[in-house]
Amino acid sequence: MSTAPAPARDRTDVLVSVRGVSKRFAGRGRRQTRTALDGFDLEVREGEFLCLLGPSGCGKSTLLDMLAGFSRPDAGQLTVDGSPVVGPGPERGVLFQTPHLFPWLTTRDNVLYGPRARHQVDAEVRRRADELLATVGLEGAADAYPHELSGGMRHRAAFARVLINRPRLLLMDEPFGALDAITRVAMQRFLLHLWERDRITIVFVTHDVEEAVLLGDRICVMTGSPGRLRATFEVDLPRPRELDVVDTLEFVRLKRQVREALEGPAS
Amino acid sequence: MTAQTADGLDTVSQDRPEAATLVRQRRFSWSRLGWGTAGVVLALALWQVLAVVKGDPVILPTVPATARTFVDYLGQRYPAGTGETLWGHALVSVLRILAGWGAGVVLGVAVGGVMASVPVVRHLIDPLIELSRPLPPLAFIPLFIVWFGIGEASKFLLIVVGVVPIMIIATVSALDGVPKELVQASRALGASPFWALLTVRLRAAVPGIITGTRLAMGAAWTSIVAVELMAATRGLGYLINNAGVNLQTSLVLSGIVTISILGIVFDGLLRLLHRRLDPTRR
Repeated sequence: MSTAPAPARDRTDVLVSVRGVSKRFAGRGRRQTRTALDGFDLEVREGEFLCLLGPSGCGKSTLLDMLAGFSRPDAGQLTVDGSPVVGPGPERGVLFQTPHLFPWLTTRDNVLYGPRARHQVDAEVRRRADELLATVGLEGAADAYPHELSGGMRHRAAFARVLINRPRLLLMDEPFGALDAITRVAMQRFLLHLWERDRITIVFVTHDVEEAVLLGDRICVMTGSPGRLRATFEVDLPRPRELDVVDTLEFVRLKRQVREALEGPAS
Repeated sequence: MTAQTADGLDTVSQDRPEAATLVRQRRFSWSRLGWGTAGVVLALALWQVLAVVKGDPVILPTVPATARTFVDYLGQRYPAGTGETLWGHALVSVLRILAGWGAGVVLGVAVGGVMASVPVVRHLIDPLIELSRPLPPLAFIPLFIVWFGIGEASKFLLIVVGVVPIMIIATVSALDGVPKELVQASRALGASPFWALLTVRLRAAVPGIITGTRLAMGAAWTSIVAVELMAATRGLGYLINNAGVNLQTSLVLSGIVTISILGIVFDGLLRLLHRRLDPTRR
């Protein structure tokens, strides 16, 4: 496993591969353990926008955590771009439910944090940082501190902070869950446009059916616990997608199918 | 359709009006200053009335008499001839406090840092801190005199003993309060574990630690009179004790006022530092 960029990457277009992954957590009691995932399989294609949809406790965040490299599976293997995940890394950008900007750094310095941590700041990187700030609409707030920004602005700053690393994969854990409805819609539109421009592979965790159908190419509906894949939906809605797609019959029909899969058979 | 920028990206114009929050909210409140001043003036007035009614400068000298003593002793030595001016006594106390506080802060942050990272150490030291917290520094005086004599060592250690538990508690809770996602974000952006520790975990704890240093500074000033009860011949604590024994009440009050002024000055300096290092405080 060399870290140098392979000159001829194999043409299989699977970027993320999850095979037989299990994860248990210690429960409250002495002998209780909670199985979050048990022999979970998943593949994500290069350039795909995949939504993991499920109720809380279905293991979707656990999976994302392991893909990010924050925790290790008890069994099974996760590979990204052919190499096993052994820890966090800048080629896998993570966006949390709250932006978690560094409050003592200005917006620009937050964006430059990654390159700085890897001692790679030069004129070119600085120029790209300013470019990214403009892309996310924060060129006027480059020298402001996070507490001076609105909720949506903070999320966009977090985007820029991750994008400057040119990640192969974006891992998003209910990134808009804590936003008010209006800002959430704005951020969804922003993300759609961003993805349609760059086509970065995205694994997007959500418990919002409409959000999953609106954003994703494919939706994996999960149930817990332990977390299992209950159903997979290909979303054939046209791209580029605009928000008014939610009013189409196709959208409504798909949304209903997904919701029914999520609620499951009355067992 | 939404408005798009040159590179085809929607700039999310909806929450642009909120950019108004960019205007820094640094409003100085004159009315607060006014009421604060009024409080002090009221207290002085009450003091003056009581002093005039009582008419005994040993029990309570008037405000102008105290002010006169204060100014006099800025240039006059106490005890006469051999002693120090008020400035001199203040300087001695300040040096003692800076030495004890500085050492206590370094020690407390180091121990607190280890406690926050190594659970065993934490479980080991936690009860010791809880046990030592209610102890007044005064209680250690006889012990320290027996162990270290009546010199500077005992005075230094007495201040350290007051500062260390405060700093340990502040450091541990500041480090505990750093959200783990902040460190994860740093690692996912490409920081090494060491870089993440240095630039995120420790950095994020700095404001909490500074709050601890302010509390510790207060505690150090609070204990200075007790510290200088120990065979001191210089320092504000000595001045207050000695002037009291000699019924020089206006000098006692001058010493007290000096301590309170110095306490405010040092706290102000630390607050300034806090502001510099924590943008949310600006």
